[in-house]
Amino acid sequence: MIEASGLSKRYGDLIAVDDVSFSVQPGEVVGFLGPNGAGKTTTMRILTGFLPPTDGRAVIDGHDIFSDPLAARRAIGYLPESPPVYPEMSVEDYLVYVAKLKDVPRRQRRAAVDRALERCGLADVRRRVIGALSKGYRQRVGLAQAIVHDPPVMILDEPTVGLDPIQIREIRTLIRDLAGTREGKARTVILSTHILPEVEAICQRVIIMHRGRKALDAPLEELQRGGASLEEIFARTTAREVVAPPDVAGEARP
Amino acid sequence: MKHVGAIASRELNSLFVSPVAYAVMTLFAVLAGFFFLSGVLQFQDYVIRLQSFQAMEQLEELNLNDHVIAPFLHVMSVVLMFLVPGITMGLFASEKTNGTLELLLTSPITIWELVIGKFLAAAAFVAILVLLLALFPAILFTYGDPEIGKTAAGLLGLLLVGLVYAAIGAFASSVTRNQVIAFVLSFVLLLVLWMLGFLADLGAAGGAATGEWIGDVLRWLSSADHFESMVMGLVDTKDLAYFGVMAIAFLVLAKTAIESVRWR
Repeated sequence: MIEASGLSKRYGDLIAVDDVSFSVQPGEVVGFLGPNGAGKTTTMRILTGFLPPTDGRAVIDGHDIFSDPLAARRAIGYLPESPPVYPEMSVEDYLVYVAKLKDVPRRQRRAAVDRALERCGLADVRRRVIGALSKGYRQRVGLAQAIVHDPPVMILDEPTVGLDPIQIREIRTLIRDLAGTREGKARTVILSTHILPEVEAICQRVIIMHRGRKALDAPLEELQRGGASLEEIFARTTAREVVAPPDVAGEARP
Repeated sequence: MKHVGAIASRELNSLFVSPVAYAVMTLFAVLAGFFFLSGVLQFQDYVIRLQSFQAMEQLEELNLNDHVIAPFLHVMSVVLMFLVPGITMGLFASEKTNGTLELLLTSPITIWELVIGKFLAAAAFVAILVLLLALFPAILFTYGDPEIGKTAAGLLGLLLVGLVYAAIGAFASSVTRNQVIAFVLSFVLLLVLWMLGFLADLGAAGGAATGEWIGDVLRWLSSADHFESMVMGLVDTKDLAYFGVMAIAFLVLAKTAIESVRWR
């Protein structure tokens, strides 16, 4: 479903992502784990077509992000680190607008928006202005925006950052639900986080990024069988080379 | 190009949700009313004075088009120079600060669709302003007898100038994420564009014979001359081409600037 090979992103001398390859099977839920500045956001931005890679290629649902960008983007639902919402719009109007942008055919738009509202628990606030919603609800709107066109792939960048514990639990449950339900088909999900229990709660597979490189890629089950906790594995993987800490500018917004 | 409508109508809606659109329209209407009234009063005063002097020749030459409508349109074209940037400053800058540019650039739309959609929203707003303005000359038609063709050409000229302003404002908004900087940048660009003609005249007056062709280029680039000839009632393809070329040039620049977000 997602095929990344040799992805690299350099900003001058700074290497944000360095020769990262992985492939994700349909229906898999993969957690991107890593300290801040490890290159998680940059990798996701490359996959969504927001940033072009310096090197390497990626194929989403059979469409190359470079040679067939529009089809590749159609196959992705993307939630950036902060939900990309217009504060002055109502939840419903916003989702209708996103559905238009994502090429949902006119006749199915109404139903697609209703379904997204329903699934993300937004039916009660559909006419509320987004700017007046709480952070947790705004995050739900961000998720609704990512699934409104029912994409086979969902890419979520730190979906629970800045939420309180109850909201975090709600959003996690929601992500698990969204991963499982897609009109009979499975949905592929990549989500980034630096919260370890989150990976254990949602994902089947872990990719640990460290200094722009892929440091570890294994099914969660396998890791847990080894007896060590994810935290230990994470600490071990990210501490392997003790040099100067990576420049956090790797995750800076352009 | 199927997303253009969605982008343009969302933009227009959000303009009218924010107070900016109403502030701009109010300011525009108040200034237009003020300049129109003072123009008409001046004209009336002038007529009375000429009559008392029995200056029949001058009275013959006096007409509403050249002495009320033309100066009015000129001053309003200057007013648009600082009102249009107020409308366009947020076109792209606000998408950057909202984080919604990331939504747009990861959606299956082309950057041209985005730029044209944004421009059309600003263009529609400018058209509303010009329509609002057309009410003032319309008043003259009920009391006097101005030439309709000349008036229409002038209003069309103002609309076209406004569209070029909108394209320049869109470009200014595409290069920064700060709306204030976008406003100032587009105002400065518009001012320079407007003054180029004077600059050329200044050079000619200073006897810069070597710079003859530079003067011609500057005069062509200046919006003032092209607008002037439309206000005089001349709808020339040369001027229409100027407005088209300028608008397209700045939209191409805006598109390039948005694209460069990806390459940085």
